[in-house]
Amino acid sequence: MRRSTFCGSAAHALDRRAFLGGAGAAGAALAADMTALNALAAPAVNKDLKKTQKRVILLWLAGGASQLETWDPKPGASTGGPFRSIQTDVPGLRISELMPKMAARMKTTCVIRGLNTKNGDHGSAAMTMMRGRRDEAALRYPDLGAVVAREFGLADSKVPDYVTFYTQTEGRGMAPGAPGFLGARYAPMELTTNNYPEFIKKLDGITDLDHLERGELRSLLGKQFEKGRNSETMNSQNEAYQRVRGIMASEKLFDVTQEPQKVRDRYGPTQFAEQTLIARRLVEAGVPFVRVGRAWWDSHGQNFETHQEMVPELDHVMATLLDDLGERGMLDDVMVMTLAEFGRTPSINASLGRDHFASAWSCTISGAGIKRGSVYGKSDPKGQTVVAEEVDAGSLFATVYSALGLDPNKNYYVGSRPVPLVNPGVEAIKALVS
Amino acid sequence: MRLRLLLTAAVCVLAPRAVGAVELPSASAPVEKVIDQLIDAAIADAGVTPAAQADDATIIRRLTLDLVGRIPTTGEVDAYVKSTDADKRAKLVDRLIAAPGFVRHQAALFEVMLNPEGDRRGSGALRDYLTSALKDGKSWDQMFREMMLPNESDPKLKGAGDFLRGRLNDADKLTSDVSVAFFGVNVSCAQCHNHPHVKDWTQDHFYGMKAFLARTFDNGGFLGERGYGVIKYKPTKGPERTAQMMFLSGTKVEDANAKEPTAAEQKKEKEALDKAKAAKTPPPAPKFSARAKLVEVALQGENAEFFARSIANRMWHRFFGTGLVSPLDQMHAENQPSHPELLAWLARDTAGHKYDLRRLIRGIVMSRAYSRSSQYESENRPGNRTFAVARLKPMTPMQLSTSLRIAATDPASFDNLKPEEFEKRIEQAEGAARGIAALVAQPTDNFQIGVGEALLFSNGDRVMRELLTDNPGTTLGRLKAMKEPKEAVEFLVKTVYGRSATADETRALVAYVEKRKGREAEAYKQVLWALVTGPEFRFSY
Repeated sequence: MRRSTFCGSAAHALDRRAFLGGAGAAGAALAADMTALNALAAPAVNKDLKKTQKRVILLWLAGGASQLETWDPKPGASTGGPFRSIQTDVPGLRISELMPKMAARMKTTCVIRGLNTKNGDHGSAAMTMMRGRRDEAALRYPDLGAVVAREFGLADSKVPDYVTFYTQTEGRGMAPGAPGFLGARYAPMELTTNNYPEFIKKLDGITDLDHLERGELRSLLGKQFEKGRNSETMNSQNEAYQRVRGIMASEKLFDVTQEPQKVRDRYGPTQFAEQTLIARRLVEAGVPFVRVGRAWWDSHGQNFETHQEMVPELDHVMATLLDDLGERGMLDDVMVMTLAEFGRTPSINASLGRDHFASAWSCTISGAGIKRGSVYGKSDPKGQTVVAEEVDAGSLFATVYSALGLDPNKNYYVGSRPVPLVNPGVEAIKALVS
Repeated sequence: MRLRLLLTAAVCVLAPRAVGAVELPSASAPVEKVIDQLIDAAIADAGVTPAAQADDATIIRRLTLDLVGRIPTTGEVDAYVKSTDADKRAKLVDRLIAAPGFVRHQAALFEVMLNPEGDRRGSGALRDYLTSALKDGKSWDQMFREMMLPNESDPKLKGAGDFLRGRLNDADKLTSDVSVAFFGVNVSCAQCHNHPHVKDWTQDHFYGMKAFLARTFDNGGFLGERGYGVIKYKPTKGPERTAQMMFLSGTKVEDANAKEPTAAEQKKEKEALDKAKAAKTPPPAPKFSARAKLVEVALQGENAEFFARSIANRMWHRFFGTGLVSPLDQMHAENQPSHPELLAWLARDTAGHKYDLRRLIRGIVMSRAYSRSSQYESENRPGNRTFAVARLKPMTPMQLSTSLRIAATDPASFDNLKPEEFEKRIEQAEGAARGIAALVAQPTDNFQIGVGEALLFSNGDRVMRELLTDNPGTTLGRLKAMKEPKEAVEFLVKTVYGRSATADETRALVAYVEKRKGREAEAYKQVLWALVTGPEFRFSY
């Protein structure tokens, strides 16, 4: 247990003293004023970091896909269910027979089989698996998308930094994107009703020139008001309006019909496939983080029928995406992940379903700086517990950040308090970072 | 579970300790006088120059937004600015506090304060309760009692129970939220171990508070409470402990009679609960109610300091945009107020006047500290915690949306109305404003406005349809009768910003309109858009 390293760590004591020394009488404890944070966000400071822009597509299997019917099959075990396992292109690695396409492409991918994340509640588990830790009472952590947006988004970017497709899913309310203390600048553009962002398109009632000049007029009027006034919130409002035209220009990225029919056919006609194709278009244009939510994995009943129907779609879309990224030479810079709030119980319930299970489940990471063709972690023969190389949410996130070239110990500053990307003491799995 | 608890632990940073006890100003001094005496003294000590008092147009805008949740109409601004009555500010404050809009706006703010997480604000039952409680002039301690010990057989008070009802499935969260909302203390830091930096908070405090609340449960939509049940927890060192009911001050409550019921008693209890459930009535109360004991102890003697200081600090924050203690849930010895004597005085005064919210609010907004300008032209701008310069406050969704409605309405339509008719018109504007309000984010401390809002206002058809229309009775409709662009743009600036246009503004706006000769109507729409999306509209300044 690393209890002592968090609240009472020596590092924190040091920072606290430094803070007390510097802040003097003003000393607002935990006053999360964003001044320090925004100073860091200045484009000049971030330029070097953004030389190689890494990007992430997260395939979020909302509700919790079964590891036994995907990445960690247990054929023949009492918990194994009806499906067999098949050999993959990585020697010694077998996955479910429902994933023949990925079986031929596991050389692109790392499977993590030893997730033990301790939380089987949809809402709070989804929050933990999107943030790599639980929020504190007085501090809301940014999720993975917000951190990646912050680290790899360009200040003058003409595209959104963080897009999340979360249409027609059971879990939307459970895992909304959240910028936490990074603030609304890094909040996701959420697509909840269709594949097209809201308010991205100019209304017919105004010409493009008028739309542009009216924005300039707004900023001119504002300048008079801003004289002698000072507010981070006011700055954020101005920045938000400055980004409007750029984001409107990215509208076509969301239009899947811009893609050649051949490519569309390759991904397939389903909503998940189309959104994944749009995700590819977005990362190609420089959007740092896209989450595509695919739901209805919460198979408390009829687990096997559900997975028989859904896993092949995941298999096809994921394989197509990895091929597509590979052909475009993007796989070194774009990470593709499959993740959920948890997996499913090895034991099969009376409705032939599997329930929530966070003690021994799996996720995958492909591309970018992850060690490809690798497996990490091992569950017991029935899949009940992790017997080797256990991974929790924190070390998973540290590994993801490392594979993206980020230092997991890098600090953000909330007021004067340093807040690292992962909790103090949490480390990346070195064996998985290439 | 263990790990989860560990991860919940919060790190808190120390603030310097303030000076020792000093004698407080007289208890009989008016609230606003004491505020100014202590704030001005601290400003003088810090050697900073405060901003000047804001002008009348700014003061009426600030007061109207803060008290009744909307911008003033042109008629209200003009009457206030023109008035030579030496007492005009006090009269305005009293009129606004007596207006129905005061109750609606403050109730909405209390709802956000009690349920900061937006998804808890769904049903509106708690807001309805808060509205009627404020309307009836209930004191804060009475509202606290009614929310913590709701009389659920009274349909008018049922909404009061929503605060607890929404939290019954998580006793830890309930403990934390009650402590934050009413006592300004976040004990969740101490859930897993004694607070590392705040000596005040130990695990005993968290579990002591939890022991008061954990016996409460849901019984068919009504609050049930058991007369028994103990909280056990594992301290960081040593064997498992049983938590004793203990208030934040350290005051402990004995429950000597609490014993686990026999099987027969349990059966009887279950029957009674099922009966109440079937009859849709509140279940029978226990002989010893731990929750009632919490309310009693919390308001008793010196214990009540937590309650009094928290509400004083929260009201200060509401009107100044910064708390005397910040953040609002970190009121403890290691995070001293910016003005310790002032907070102590306000807390004492509030408790001494039966937690009368109107008195506290009136005192705050009558102070000169409240009415300083937000503009500071010279360098070395004093920090927010000196209260030497007013802080910009982003509007709440309802403030913004209602104000947009008012700005888009022909100001003449508010003229020459009887007070009841005027209030009715305002209430209608509020009702119509709910749609757009639902699309705007609720501000928090350190709020940032996201690109989503800018896109909504730039391209949302609802904004176009509801606000940028020139139908009869609208601001844009009025322009049709105006011949000269100069007259029209000056009218727009006055209607939207409540002040005359500057020469530079008039020049720029006239040029904008003249460039669109022959399609002036469109140009005016765009001018109105540019005015309402600007920071001068978006903030209370």
